[in-house]
Amino acid sequence: MILRIRLAQQEADPIGAITAAPAVVIGASVAVAASVGLTFWHRAEINSPAAAILGIVLVAAAGVVASVSAWPSRAPFTAERLWVVVSLAVGGAIAEYVSTLGTDQYLYDDYGPIAIGLLILAVAPFCTWMSLLTAGFLASAVLAILAVGAAGDRGAGGSVVAVIAVNTSATLALAAAAAGYSYAIVAETLAWQRQANSAALQRDADMRAGIARSVQQSRVSLLGREVLPFLAGIMTAERITVADADRARELAEALRRALKAGIESTWLDDLAASVGSVRGVGVEVDDPGGAARELRVDQRSTLTALVSWLSNSGRSAGMTVSFRTAEHSGVITLEARPGVEPPTRRDLERFLAVARSVGMRAETRVARDNVSVEFRYDLE
Amino acid sequence: MNLGLPEHLARESFSRALANAGHCAALVCLVIGIVVVAESAFAGGAEGELAAVMLLAAQALLLVLVARFPTVTLTVVYLVAGSAVVFALTVLVMQPENGVDSTNNPLLALPRIALLLVGGAGAGSAIALTWATLGFGLGEAATFLGAAIGGGSWVPNVAAAGAFGLLVMVRAYDGLSRRRDTRKETGLHRASQQTRELALRHDYELRATARLHDTALSHLVAIAAAGSGPIDERLRVGIRQDLGLIVGRDWAIDHGDAAIDDGAFGSAGAAGGAGRPGRSGGNGPIAAAATRTVLPEALEAARNAGLGVRITGDPAALEVLGPVRASVLDAAVAQCLVNVARHAGVGEAEVAIGPGHGDVTVVVVDSGLGFDVDAVPDDRIGLRTSIRARIEQEGGSVQVWSSPGVGTTVVLTVPEGGA
Repeated sequence: MILRIRLAQQEADPIGAITAAPAVVIGASVAVAASVGLTFWHRAEINSPAAAILGIVLVAAAGVVASVSAWPSRAPFTAERLWVVVSLAVGGAIAEYVSTLGTDQYLYDDYGPIAIGLLILAVAPFCTWMSLLTAGFLASAVLAILAVGAAGDRGAGGSVVAVIAVNTSATLALAAAAAGYSYAIVAETLAWQRQANSAALQRDADMRAGIARSVQQSRVSLLGREVLPFLAGIMTAERITVADADRARELAEALRRALKAGIESTWLDDLAASVGSVRGVGVEVDDPGGAARELRVDQRSTLTALVSWLSNSGRSAGMTVSFRTAEHSGVITLEARPGVEPPTRRDLERFLAVARSVGMRAETRVARDNVSVEFRYDLE
Repeated sequence: MNLGLPEHLARESFSRALANAGHCAALVCLVIGIVVVAESAFAGGAEGELAAVMLLAAQALLLVLVARFPTVTLTVVYLVAGSAVVFALTVLVMQPENGVDSTNNPLLALPRIALLLVGGAGAGSAIALTWATLGFGLGEAATFLGAAIGGGSWVPNVAAAGAFGLLVMVRAYDGLSRRRDTRKETGLHRASQQTRELALRHDYELRATARLHDTALSHLVAIAAAGSGPIDERLRVGIRQDLGLIVGRDWAIDHGDAAIDDGAFGSAGAAGGAGRPGRSGGNGPIAAAATRTVLPEALEAARNAGLGVRITGDPAALEVLGPVRASVLDAAVAQCLVNVARHAGVGEAEVAIGPGHGDVTVVVVDSGLGFDVDAVPDDRIGLRTSIRARIEQEGGSVQVWSSPGVGTTVVLTVPEGGA
């Protein structure tokens, strides 16, 4: 429950949030179009053209801030950005009110509430349901004051509560939709993750047996197949010969070397070996300190996904993954030589967004002869 | 941990989330509608107001039912009943006494928006758009009929049309954006599984490494050092014992696991073998630990190496360890004692066992030759793999103090509990 309050889709399902980035531009464009269209519609009521223009400009500014902030290269979308967007849009609504001060015939054709609501809805994939709802309520409070003012200016009779309800309905409904979406998608994602994790734990038992058997086929156990028969032979022999002693020395040395290599390798070396043998793409790992061990499971998954993706479909002809660590932080640099179908920066953005969602700051540089991705992370 | 939604669930999950968004907005519209009706002066007086409030409340109730149980029947019932509500409300609102000139007004927009945000049965944008189109069309028809009966002119409701347009845009975007299959291509779910497998595999490699080292390396070194000549009986017995442990079984599996599988802890172990270790539960593996010999592998290794061991302190402290962790500690102590026998030049070592603050500490002390700790090369397999790597894998730590001519003290600390 706490996670559902704290998480937005951009953290729980980063790929989904990235996919939603262009939708923010669309939502913002609709909000701006609504402000222009409705201003034109009630142009006869405008007594301050400057305020009317300012209103449109503020809504457009809110739209630009929302669109730019939601773009993957500027991720993550922080709560502060939501407040900037909502503040600018509320500013637009106030300017609209000023532009028709005393002459506003109908609240129904004011664009303020719909523009604010649309912008809140557009950024729903990037915000928690609680912050979206709070934004909706606070903006509605301002709209309520404007509605009361406008009703007073018109000298209209009737219920103030009804006027406030009508004027805030678009903002409240769209903010509720945004919060409902954010809550549901995070809940769906977390439910799936719980299910998948529990299934994975159950699968582990089977996997352990399979892995144990395949480990016995690995370099250590192959060596074991030479060592064990040798020891068995010694056990039944009467004497140790010079040849036996030499053979024992050789095997001990080989065992030491194999063990040392085994100890110093990490899961990333295993991944590199697997990618090399299955896809024929060379992956060099430069990690003398074994820093790959320190990565969290979700960070490992991100790096695994990127290495696997790059090694597939001719995107890369080979790559190097190197680690540099300081006392409290680490940097992973992945340098890939482009293959026949080199990746674009846009392709890589989704991996960067995923990396950001698991606590790694990520950057990429794409050149004709080199693709570089850098992840920075804090050591716990 | 898995990241995000897998490709096969994304469509349904997004569809449900968007439907939920629509339901939330629809509910807000209906609640606001009730507030507006309750606060407005209607033709027909209090009875008319009450009727309108009841109609909107009924629609809200049906909406909650559709949201909770999105079946085809309930969706159809909601659409039909909602259209009836819109019709009745239009008749009430469009009475000439109310002075409402057209059907393009906010009060009539609210139930109509709630009608098209039905969400409905099934998943996917196409189905959702079908239900929404039905909701919009039925609402428009109901408004038209209501205006015809109640009076006033029928004009398309701009707010309802705007809401419909917005819904079409959102659903169309959702449907089109998932066609690129970015999610599948990124393969996060697959990568999560692969990472898990890699971690398990590496863990097994390390266990296998330690096992092979403990079993074979000391014998190979002894054979190489012995040179030609008759075989030392103690060496023969040691090899026989170790080969007996590993031949004919999955030797790569840590003997801690194997012990559990074989029910080697006796009847109490067999009774608790299926459960997870914990500090409570008298029949669990920890209770079983009480029946074990203290550090059996270590004592066996010392006996084979001809080393006398004096155990001091509180051996019962080991009972708080899970069987696997106890076995790992046992193997590490065994390696310490083998090192004493091999390098210290003494015939006896002391093993002190004691509980700490949430830890168990075992100290292996000898008063032998000792060595310069800083001069030990990093690649000394025995200390790194068999002792330090194993203990650290269990979340513990190893400290070594030694000086030439003074002796060596190795302190092994592991947290209580564990598998």
